[in-house]
Amino acid sequence: MSRWVLGEFRTSEQLLEAARALRARGFTRMDALTPIPVEGVDEVLSLPPSGLPLLGLVAGVGGAGGAYLVQWFTQAVDWPLDVGGRPLHSGPAFIPIVFESAVLAAAGALFLGVLVACGLPRLTHPFFDVEAFRSASIDGFWLAVPVDDDAGRDAVDSALRGLGASQVSLAEEERP
Amino acid sequence: MSDVAPRAPVTEDPLVESTLLEGRYSNAQLGESLLRPVLGAPGWGWWALVGLCSALVVLLVVAIGVTLFVGVGSWGNNIPVAWAFGIINFVWWIGIGHAGTLISAILLLFGEKWRSSVNRMAEAMTLFAVACAGLFPLLHLGRPWKFYYLVPYPSALRMWPQFRSPLTWDIVAILTYLTVSVLFWYMGLLPDLATARDTAKETWKRRAWGLLSLGWRGSARHWRNWRTGYLLLAGLATPLVVSVHTIVSFDFAVAQLPGWHTTIFPPYFVAGAIFSGLAMVMTLLLPARRVLRLQHVITDAHLDVLARLLLVSGLFVAYGYIQEHFFGWYSGDPYEMHAMSILRTGPYAPAFWTVFTCNVLVPQLFWSRRLRTSPAVLWVAALIVNVGMWLERFVIVVSPLSEDFLPSSWRHYAPTWVDLSLLSGTVGLFGLGFLLFLKLLPPVPISEVKQLQDELEASERFARDVVAKARAPGGGA
Repeated sequence: MSRWVLGEFRTSEQLLEAARALRARGFTRMDALTPIPVEGVDEVLSLPPSGLPLLGLVAGVGGAGGAYLVQWFTQAVDWPLDVGGRPLHSGPAFIPIVFESAVLAAAGALFLGVLVACGLPRLTHPFFDVEAFRSASIDGFWLAVPVDDDAGRDAVDSALRGLGASQVSLAEEERP
Repeated sequence: MSDVAPRAPVTEDPLVESTLLEGRYSNAQLGESLLRPVLGAPGWGWWALVGLCSALVVLLVVAIGVTLFVGVGSWGNNIPVAWAFGIINFVWWIGIGHAGTLISAILLLFGEKWRSSVNRMAEAMTLFAVACAGLFPLLHLGRPWKFYYLVPYPSALRMWPQFRSPLTWDIVAILTYLTVSVLFWYMGLLPDLATARDTAKETWKRRAWGLLSLGWRGSARHWRNWRTGYLLLAGLATPLVVSVHTIVSFDFAVAQLPGWHTTIFPPYFVAGAIFSGLAMVMTLLLPARRVLRLQHVITDAHLDVLARLLLVSGLFVAYGYIQEHFFGWYSGDPYEMHAMSILRTGPYAPAFWTVFTCNVLVPQLFWSRRLRTSPAVLWVAALIVNVGMWLERFVIVVSPLSEDFLPSSWRHYAPTWVDLSLLSGTVGLFGLGFLLFLKLLPPVPISEVKQLQDELEASERFARDVVAKARAPGGGA
């Protein structure tokens, strides 16, 4: 069973302050849930750097190479068709499709990459059971702290309230 | 004016003529005002427009049916004008799409703040325009059900597509453009779909938007990956805009035909595409802004900058016209000179001079700031430019074909009712798509506008602090 204590703050500054304070008290694996991206929260939560740029590069180069190979194989190897004595392996004529395929492969990989990195799509999440959590996409700045037992829960609860959380709730997930 | 009461007026700043956000709101209020068009019931105007567009779509279906049953012979094109409405409409529609990607992707890369309020509508416009564009080459094939011949699949006939032909480049370019536009648009929508899910009161709406938002929670991890991915997609979409219309222009430029065989075509087509797209953005944006009461997020500053862009891209287009005619004359080739002279004084002169008036003279209005921020003038000018850009494509496609090398084979072109129905039908399809979009999805990016307000407030606070420090006794330089 996983448990989180969720605390709502009114502003992004309050959220950042609270996250820093909890961090200093030794809480880790926290998450911030906000309606807009909050500058500086990545450092406080020490999120790992994103691997998306590399993914896009690899997929783009792969798409380009694949497109060139297909064109070369079909036009120059498998079914050579002499049109007015033009070269069969006509590189410059292949460039438009090579470029488009690079973009297509990179964009597709990036889109899927973002979903995988975010753990989406996901139909349900224990946070959604908390009715007040609806404000997380409207105007509430939420901090989620994972807890192991009731003692930890109470500690986080009072810590969040002490840091100025306007409300505190508990989210639980039953693991089969 | 918008009917949301601002929480605070904007700080007086003599350096800012008009701001990107009229007044300051609470995040909840701002989100609600942007979601109002989606959450409320549609008005009678919406239904009337949907009815009109649906009627045009019926016309489109009929025309497509005739094209499929009778054949492409029901169109007006024949030898020597083998390309006509099919390609004109294709180039026109795909060009309209380009401004959407320009506004959303290129401006995101440049960090232009004003894009936030208009990018969603511009991107939606792109999607429907590209869908309409894709229809025409497909129908022009004659046997659209065999379109898969253009895809290199391993058939037992070993029949590969001819990759040295610009028409296969076209299909890859259009499909890529459509796919990347959809991905980019959907990625941008994710946070707002979550906002819509959490704001809606009805369960079915919550469920529908909940499914579409894929479980977005706005976690720090989500935002981090989303921002990186969105920016990278914008980086990919930017060269894509230029490449797609360049490839479209290759359809013409790689031919030997006088009037088509020219190196100015790729940049000239790209400029024309952005020009026509900006005109279409304004055609849709100005009424939507008024009816949906979005004046607080789409302010005079937005109209001003869009009009400036229209002026600049109009000047690029004018430069293209000058180049085209200059090189026709400078080549010394009698065929080239003829292709250009029939535009200026020959049978296509009325069309050409209309194009010149619509696309070169009308945008010159926007040297005046007063006209740039007048919605009525902007809207009429945008409509005129839309017509002018369609006529420009007509002139480019039809005139060189109808009078080429051999005078004995010259023949002029007239569209049939099927051609005209296909054109007006796609206008209906485009309109219907856009109307449904306005009703079903948040038309203005909510999270981005909230973020914009956050940044504006932070900079105002900073300015106030600096002033306060300077005024404080003993403070200041």
